[in-house]
Amino acid sequence: MRRLWGRLGLRARITGLYAAGGLLLSLAIALSTLTLARQNLVDDREEQAFAVMTRNAERVWGRLGPDTAIDEVEQIFGSLTITDRSAPLVRIGAEWRASDPLEFNEDLVPVSLRNRVEAGRAAQIRVELDGDPTILYGVPLPNLDADYYEAVDTADVEAALRSLGIIVLGVSAVATLFSAALGSWASRRALTPLAEVRIAAESLAAGELDTRLDPPADTDLASLTASFNGMARSLEDRIERDARFASEVSHELRSPLMTLNASVEVLNNSRASMDERSQTALDLLTDDVARFTVLVEDLLEISRYDVGTARLHSEAIDLVEFVRQTVQHSPYEVSLRPPSMDHLVIVGDKRRLAQVVSNLIDNAAKYGAGTTEVIVEPVDGGAQVAVEDEGPGVPVAERDIIFDRFSRGSAGGRRGQGTGSGLGLALIAEHVGLHGGTIWVEDRLDEAAGARFVVQLPIGDLDALDDDESEWS
Amino acid sequence: MGTRILTVEDDERIRTSVRLALEDEGWTVEEAASGEDALNAFTAQAADVVLIDIMLPGIDGFDVCRSIRRVSDVPIVMVTARADTHDVVAGLEAGADDYLTKPFAPKELSARIRALLRRARSTDPATPHMVFGDLEIIPEEGVVRLAGDEVHLTKTEFRLLVELATNPGRVLSREVLLERVWGYGYFGDGRLVDVHVRRLRTKIEPDAANPRYVVTVRGLGYKLQS
Repeated sequence: MRRLWGRLGLRARITGLYAAGGLLLSLAIALSTLTLARQNLVDDREEQAFAVMTRNAERVWGRLGPDTAIDEVEQIFGSLTITDRSAPLVRIGAEWRASDPLEFNEDLVPVSLRNRVEAGRAAQIRVELDGDPTILYGVPLPNLDADYYEAVDTADVEAALRSLGIIVLGVSAVATLFSAALGSWASRRALTPLAEVRIAAESLAAGELDTRLDPPADTDLASLTASFNGMARSLEDRIERDARFASEVSHELRSPLMTLNASVEVLNNSRASMDERSQTALDLLTDDVARFTVLVEDLLEISRYDVGTARLHSEAIDLVEFVRQTVQHSPYEVSLRPPSMDHLVIVGDKRRLAQVVSNLIDNAAKYGAGTTEVIVEPVDGGAQVAVEDEGPGVPVAERDIIFDRFSRGSAGGRRGQGTGSGLGLALIAEHVGLHGGTIWVEDRLDEAAGARFVVQLPIGDLDALDDDESEWS
Repeated sequence: MGTRILTVEDDERIRTSVRLALEDEGWTVEEAASGEDALNAFTAQAADVVLIDIMLPGIDGFDVCRSIRRVSDVPIVMVTARADTHDVVAGLEAGADDYLTKPFAPKELSARIRALLRRARSTDPATPHMVFGDLEIIPEEGVVRLAGDEVHLTKTEFRLLVELATNPGRVLSREVLLERVWGYGYFGDGRLVDVHVRRLRTKIEPDAANPRYVVTVRGLGYKLQS
């Protein structure tokens, strides 16, 4: 039970507590109402019945003489206050007379009552007659060998109490439902700020580091908001510090890299005069300086996304010609599937898009094994560049992480390295994202073995390009 | 005497290694460690090409570039930290003809220098004298006149104007201009063209904001209106 309770949501629990509280409270009120009402009703009824009975008994006593015949009692009955819920019975000597013998006669008088009355004491007793609760009164008539009995049926009181009970219980049920509704509403009200916190946290997690909560109107929530905003601020600071650090480090590395590149070139100018060992060492040095240079450049570029300073330098690009040129400039053997159109103009950053396409081609050539084909196609609201290879493809499980930084695909070669820096695919994914496009990897559409990397780009707003190309400045 | 290159770079190690690499290419290299040194050296003996690192202590690269530009139309190559910053545009606006980002391969620098020198020296002498309204271009003399007054253009600006003028009314894309004026391929930086067109306009247009001669054809390129 406790485990079940724990599994319920906070809102369900609050609603349940409200309902239980409402039920308890209304039941308590209902029970006390009923008890009080019963007491009052019964007391009133008994008081009234007793008064009537007393008057009737006095009247009978007044009319009876020492030698009144039992038959005369019938006439006396006519002068009594009799309702359809009361029935008198008179004993004179050994004879009995009832006004309504079917309802109440001497046989229905319990012996205990009779004994007490005949012993000269007035008494009353509660019995059930014909299934109805009834009060039987018995009064000895002084100085006569006679008694007066009266049966008063109190079924009407019980019926009234029952009706009252039903009403009160109905009200309790309504009150319980109302409490539950109130609880549901109140919990929703109370949890609304939590929903805002949830949305803000999701936005933070999605990388919107400047997400903050508005100061609440409710002072009770101010501390929550303040600590959330404080957390977001320190998170943002922390991430920016890290990003700035990466940016500064790669920036600082440019100067020694410049010296390395120039010096390696000088050494290579006299490579022919070196012995074989020195040549091998120089080749290793040359390759790794080149790799290191790419890594630092990629790191610097990707850190600009982290710091948030990456900006597009947009211009109109004929994607068909653009991809044709990229393919021509590629050092690898790449075929361009003849595009179905002559021009497909989009707005984009040429330098970045060139990096995207050439990186995918390099990647396919290095890890895709075999011929690489590039396809340019218009798609709904945009354009698509797909790079297909004949390699082993990318396992489904790695299709997302392949775009992570320094990810190392297991199968399909070490694709994630892209340019060899380990940042290639991550960087071009950022480039595509900055254009408002998407990049993914899938199986080849012709179901042959191999990977198909797809970049989808929006057309962009050609009219928004400034006449004088002043977006450069 | 070989072609003299003045390199302005505050980092001694870079200066030395670049000098070695450029000397291997057959250039004569003169070094300057600061903006002040650079201006003094240039005043003492003008170089054929100047290579300026933008980040210099004291007088920065932009100022050095502007100061040299005031007295000379020598080809200037800027070295910037990154390609996608405002530095590139600012450097070009300060008068640089081309730029490279650090770290670059000295062979690439040599290729740029050769392209600039080729431009600086040769304009097809067969190109006839051209007139567009008040604008007069005399390619064989390297002279441009606006309403009779000589306009002083750098070699690159002049070459750009001549490219546009020899195809009057025809739209030339940035790629075509990059190739013909700078010797870059398709992936050259279009900003070179844009900033040089802007610089050109301030010199030859009566109203640079509403150009009459060199007009932009949106999304396609530029043309010279006859």
